Amino acid sequence: MTIGEDLSKALYIARKDMKVYYFKAPNFTYGLLMPVALYLAFSVSGSLSPATLISGLVSLVILFGTMSIEAVSVVLEKQTGTFERLLAAPVSLLGLILGKALAGFAIGPLTAIAVLVPVSLFSGTSVQSPIAVFLAVCVSSFTFASMGILVSCFARWTPEAQMYSNFFRFPMAFLSGTFIPVESMPQFLQLFSRVLPLTYSIDAIREGLNNSFVTGSYLLDLGVLILFSAAFMLASAKVLERQLR
Amino acid sequence: MVGLTKHYGVFTALNGIDFDVPRGSVFGLLGPNGAGKTTTIKILTGLTKPSSGSAFILGHDIVRDTIQAKKRIGVVPESSNIYEEMTAEQNLVFAAELYGVAGQDRRRRTWELLETFGLAERGRDTVAGFSRGMRRRLTIACGIIHRPEILFLDEPTTGLDVQSALVLRELVRKLNKEGTTVLLTTHYLEEADQLCDTVAMINKGKIVALDSPEKLKASVIGSNIVDVSFSEHVEEEELCKVGGVIEIHRLGDKIRLTVGSDVDVVEELTDYARTRGLRITTINTLKPSLEDAFLRITGLNPEEAGRDKEPVKMRRQDG
Repeated sequence: MTIGEDLSKALYIARKDMKVYYFKAPNFTYGLLMPVALYLAFSVSGSLSPATLISGLVSLVILFGTMSIEAVSVVLEKQTGTFERLLAAPVSLLGLILGKALAGFAIGPLTAIAVLVPVSLFSGTSVQSPIAVFLAVCVSSFTFASMGILVSCFARWTPEAQMYSNFFRFPMAFLSGTFIPVESMPQFLQLFSRVLPLTYSIDAIREGLNNSFVTGSYLLDLGVLILFSAAFMLASAKVLERQLR
Repeated sequence: MVGLTKHYGVFTALNGIDFDVPRGSVFGLLGPNGAGKTTTIKILTGLTKPSSGSAFILGHDIVRDTIQAKKRIGVVPESSNIYEEMTAEQNLVFAAELYGVAGQDRRRRTWELLETFGLAERGRDTVAGFSRGMRRRLTIACGIIHRPEILFLDEPTTGLDVQSALVLRELVRKLNKEGTTVLLTTHYLEEADQLCDTVAMINKGKIVALDSPEKLKASVIGSNIVDVSFSEHVEEEELCKVGGVIEIHRLGDKIRLTVGSDVDVVEELTDYARTRGLRITTINTLKPSLEDAFLRITGLNPEEAGRDKEPVKMRRQDG
């Protein structure tokens, strides 16, 4: 099988997942309303700068939006038996996982724009490099979608997947600089925040908001997010391969 | 396949099975629940890996060359696995896309199959509103949209109404006539008898018989089987007194007797009824069936053979 064939099948799987999972109620409640509510609750103090506020909120919306779909996308198919149909098809495990992740990846920018545009207009914040922000949103979406797939591969049923998913989402939401700047955290928490992908997502979006040129920090953030994505995808393939034994 | 073995922890699901499926044939895999039929199918379709042994699909090693092997097969699992949120048409088009059917052929084949399976009128409806039989038919259609060279059917007619089952059997014959090799598992032994060129009987993870249905049936000749019912209830033990009886099973209001071939069982039963003042309500002498061969070869009784699932079903030929 050529890479092209595998990629085209991954796109068909992604399109199918969009049809099947996008318009389910939990995606709106967990994906959009939950992070917005969380953010409003924690930002009333007004001590955060507009760029920190927007980058944190946008990253949070991407994290919750993509993971709420992806964390259940494999496990739901396992429960209904449709996952066996995908496994029986002539597509590699990585191709299958890529297809699943692409569906979540596609919803990230949509939810991000739905939040970014009104919040920027309301707060009067100008986006210095819209392309850099959009690219950071896209890469972050793929990273969080891949993370969701890994969670979903482990889980045996939906509540288990949601539990694992929250186990990652909530600590990340509090320790990645969303509500409290990383610099003001104790040293060991600052170190811990460096192994959380959300930290790099917030940082990359903030860099794009504040700078009209590409910074070294921005490139490093994207590089780390890409490495996280690759690690999550490979780990998901390994988990599925082990389950086939 | 050669020496195919599969362990799940300490449980051995398959214990070194070997068989070849001739190209262009319909091959049946029969056995009681837990015998290893579905595990065999799962290995051959790449859904699980064998613990040892090897299997080849049209020359492709299913473990090492999985994708190439999968391209040439169609899989219809025991339970329907279609997307409820999508329409019948979308399900079929998606199946065609996964198997690399060319863009211009996808919709044509989709609508051909919807017509064949009597689903054309509901083609644009979501599957959520479909009956169990309709879902089954759609699952089968999804399994053959790419015109596979080998088709795996796991309990294909389970849950289908009589009409749909007949259509499906006809379709299997048609596909086979067109060159598709079919490997099916079924609980309906009559179905296997009608469709299969060769049957492998599997029990406790081992192949216990492998031959054509006719040869397997012929192997149990040497005894006669009679179904009899009386005007009053008769205990099975009572009928042991009838000369030449080898085995007795109660089947509802009837009693099935297996007797030696040299015994005139009708005369024996008539004498038995007369001496006890009973009237024979029905009496049927039966030709050996694939079910008889199955029970004789596996050493199971009918209850064991059908435990946990639907009982082994067979319409006998009255003689």
